[in-house]
Amino acid sequence: MPRNCCLHSENEAKSEGRSELIPSIKFRHCCLLRNQRCVTAYLYDRLLRIRALRWEYGSVLPAAIRFHMCAEELEWFNQYKKSLATYMRSLGGEEGLDITQDRKPPKSLYIEVRCLKDHGEFEIDDGTIILLKKNSQHFLPRWKCEQLIRQGVLEHVIS
Amino acid sequence: MFVTDIRKEFYDIVVNQRVALLVSLDVDALCACKVLQALFHCDQVQYTLVPVKGWQDLGTAFLEHKEQFRYFVLINCGANVDLLETLQPEEETIFFICDTHRPVDVVNVYNDTQIKLLIKQDDDLGVPSYDDIFRDDEEEGGDQDSGNESDGSSEPSGKRRRFDEVSLIAARQRARREWEARRREILFDYEQYEYHGTAVMVLFELAWVMSKDTKDMLWWAIIGLTDQWVHDRITHMKYVTDIAALQRHVSRHNHCNEDEDNSLSIDCMRICFEYDLRLSLYQHWSLYESICNSCYTLSTFKLWSIQGQKKLQEFLADMGLPLKQVRQKFNSMDIAIKENLRDVIEESSNKYGMKDIRIQTFGVHFGFKNKFLATDVVHAAAALLESVEKDESGTDNFIKALDCLSRSNLDQLHRGIELAKKKLMAIQQTVASCICTHLILSQGPFLYLCVCLFSKPLALTLLCKYLLKSFARSTRNKRCKILPLVMAAPLDVEKGTVIVMGIPPECETSDKKNFFGRAFEKAAESTSSRTLHDNFDMSIIELKMQDRSKFLDALVTLLS
Repeated sequence: MPRNCCLHSENEAKSEGRSELIPSIKFRHCCLLRNQRCVTAYLYDRLLRIRALRWEYGSVLPAAIRFHMCAEELEWFNQYKKSLATYMRSLGGEEGLDITQDRKPPKSLYIEVRCLKDHGEFEIDDGTIILLKKNSQHFLPRWKCEQLIRQGVLEHVIS
Repeated sequence: MFVTDIRKEFYDIVVNQRVALLVSLDVDALCACKVLQALFHCDQVQYTLVPVKGWQDLGTAFLEHKEQFRYFVLINCGANVDLLETLQPEEETIFFICDTHRPVDVVNVYNDTQIKLLIKQDDDLGVPSYDDIFRDDEEEGGDQDSGNESDGSSEPSGKRRRFDEVSLIAARQRARREWEARRREILFDYEQYEYHGTAVMVLFELAWVMSKDTKDMLWWAIIGLTDQWVHDRITHMKYVTDIAALQRHVSRHNHCNEDEDNSLSIDCMRICFEYDLRLSLYQHWSLYESICNSCYTLSTFKLWSIQGQKKLQEFLADMGLPLKQVRQKFNSMDIAIKENLRDVIEESSNKYGMKDIRIQTFGVHFGFKNKFLATDVVHAAAALLESVEKDESGTDNFIKALDCLSRSNLDQLHRGIELAKKKLMAIQQTVASCICTHLILSQGPFLYLCVCLFSKPLALTLLCKYLLKSFARSTRNKRCKILPLVMAAPLDVEKGTVIVMGIPPECETSDKKNFFGRAFEKAAESTSSRTLHDNFDMSIIELKMQDRSKFLDALVTLLS
């Protein structure tokens, strides 16, 4: 809110001879500024969370989450995605480097996962298909499982 | 066929492949599974683990996974039935079976291509030789051909030749009938008794041969062996022999790490040999409760009667243990009392007729607080495996029990111990009430009983064993002392089924061979009762409630 509005209101009050309103005007102005700060802080926090969503869910957001975002936020998300993709392509030589994988240093190549719900068939790199049934345990390459772990279908078993 | 070099013929084959592990629901299988999983993690063998409860589950799991896997490892299931006929696999599927159930089906033994048995051959297997059971079919074809020829042959010299040939054919057919009769007899002798070996020892030896064994695997091997002993599946002789073998491994591991200068940190795992008391869970309970709920003391003192209670009080007074101390939690007992407890108890129990109150076993401790005996872990895992809380399926319980075996899931283990305590108390109360109200009926060749609470195989096994032991001590009837026991318990009220199980008679030197498997099959056939032989142990079946009486009558006639 520009300072002019406040000054303008003050001048009007002075010219109409109602100078006792000036403290109220100042006070109202402060309240409005405060509200504006709160709203901006809220919107900024939302933006930071949306940015974190790209790192957690990948490029495609689940519909349940998209439902809660407004059009401008979706637009911002797409821009951020593009920006990140350009950056990733510029690293690591020819093909670029996907830095959204392996955010923590991996301890091993394969991990043991436990299936929390029936998910049906799942294909891994060499074409073989694994049947993910509830309560079965599998020992699979880590990069294939990360997506499903984030979705809550698999659980990493640490023994 | 039996695998001679387990490393070359099993491990080196699967190490570059993807494997499906089908594991049965008992503690020995869980331990074997953990050992194998640890080995697979070392070598990054991709696998899928599926728990199976009985033959139907095995069939379903196989159907679901047969497209994706070529190698199947079956743990504690599949050896005692013709597997190829039951599952009908493709030509390239190979099964590795590590099973404790004996006798191993003869087709599984003599199949060279698809079935590999990971079983030690120096167990007393008694497999009949190949020629006694199988016979080439060419001879039969030869008979037919010569028969045809003799029909179509021409006249007079033909007639004499035909006479010779006919007598030859008759001789061959007679020999064949004799051979078949002998074959039936051999197979009957071989298959009539059911008994057990150990699964986890085989896998632990594999780990040792590859020098990849760790203390964790050794501890799992110990738990697996103790499970076989607690649930009365192996003879005492075998238990002691295997304990001696494990003791060598324990010494080897202990000497590797400790010496004067660098001793192990307190958090590392230490396994030690203990000549400890046969009181279940006594270190996690109070001494008094443990004595009241352990099979050995329960049956010796006859704690269901008033004289028994008095005797127990005498026993405690004899040892000089004040009641207040004995009823406290074991960890809070006076240290002076705890120090010589085992020796004091052993001396007094000799007076009361309990000669082997102490048993060779192992204990583990890691950290300052965590000390467990092998029997504690066995009881905890078995209780978790069969907990009857709502909304828990068999496979959920399998996961929980599997978790409690790792050292990082101590709260699961403690939960298991609490459940085991409840289970033992329930067993003790049932035993007491059954004996006091004379519910056990002698049906001629066996004793029979019907209970209401227990419907899971492992808990039912423990109940049967405790009950038979107590009954054998309490009855005056000499004949009844040596009878086997058949127990029935309602399984599913809606479907109207009961679970029936039979155990061999109670005897000091019994060889734990159980003939009820075949007996149940034959009785079911002869009365055409609606039974389900789903459990991997043939001596546990499900039966419709209405068919119970005719089934029992048939069983009585069969066994008399």
